[in-house]
Amino acid sequence: MQKKDLIQQRVEAALNSMDGMQPATPEPYLLTRIHARMNTREVTVWEKAVWFLSRPVVAIVLCLVIVANMMVVVSNQSRQSNVAATSQGDDFSYTVATIYDSENVQP
Amino acid sequence: MNNAEQELVIQLQQGNEAAFRKLVDAYEKMVYNTALGIVQNEDDADDITQEVFIQAYQSLTDFKGASKISTWLYRITLGKALDLEKKKKRKKRFGFVQALFGSSGEETVPAVEFDHPGVQLENKENAASLFKALKQLPDNQRIAFTLHKMEGRSYNEVAEIMDTTVTAVESLMARGRTNLKKILSTYYESKFNN
Repeated sequence: MQKKDLIQQRVEAALNSMDGMQPATPEPYLLTRIHARMNTREVTVWEKAVWFLSRPVVAIVLCLVIVANMMVVVSNQSRQSNVAATSQGDDFSYTVATIYDSENVQP
Repeated sequence: MNNAEQELVIQLQQGNEAAFRKLVDAYEKMVYNTALGIVQNEDDADDITQEVFIQAYQSLTDFKGASKISTWLYRITLGKALDLEKKKKRKKRFGFVQALFGSSGEETVPAVEFDHPGVQLENKENAASLFKALKQLPDNQRIAFTLHKMEGRSYNEVAEIMDTTVTAVESLMARGRTNLKKILSTYYESKFNN
């Protein structure tokens, strides 16, 4: 029981340990260090890429390119299926005039 | 946002150097202490403080003035502090994997108890345990606790910074306190047993 009480006391003391806490003071000459950092800061390739891609104009253009690309792919697919049907017809000589057609011109 | 703040924002957006100095002077302590509360390391907090003002300077044109300058800076600070924590955790995991495979990477420095310079001398030991326990809380509970307890922000202000309701902040604080009690009890129990 005594041990449990002791633990409770320590827990409460820890929870209240921030009471009356003073704010910490940052290192001096912060502004000078900020300027120095701004001047020497190297922008990485990834940062450049993210900055470029996150611009609204670029994002919209990219979306349009993707949509146009998809439209071309879809239209190509439908054209290919039409061509496939035609070539199937060719294979079975649905449309090609044969020698018999030219010989039997008279009804 | 009051008139003085609005004027400061306009001056900042015009690239006024004196206005930027004013901004840094007015908010450096706030930014530094918030970062320190989260990352619990003075060098990292200093680094974050610099990064926060650089980002603020670079994104001034995006600042519409819908919130107070302090709220805006708090949000940038918390974002940067949590990012750094995640980066450190990833590095730690990577170090562990490296150690498993026996490669000689950077030596990992053991976690040191954080000694906040503003804590009263008689509370130092207890505060160190509390800071250790805080690290184990979920991010939103930790943020609410840090802003309210360390920064002295009201529940209303915490709600504004966290972009949530006062009720949600109250709930976060209550859960945070319960979790801290559990963590600290376990810690002191093991300490007494050893």
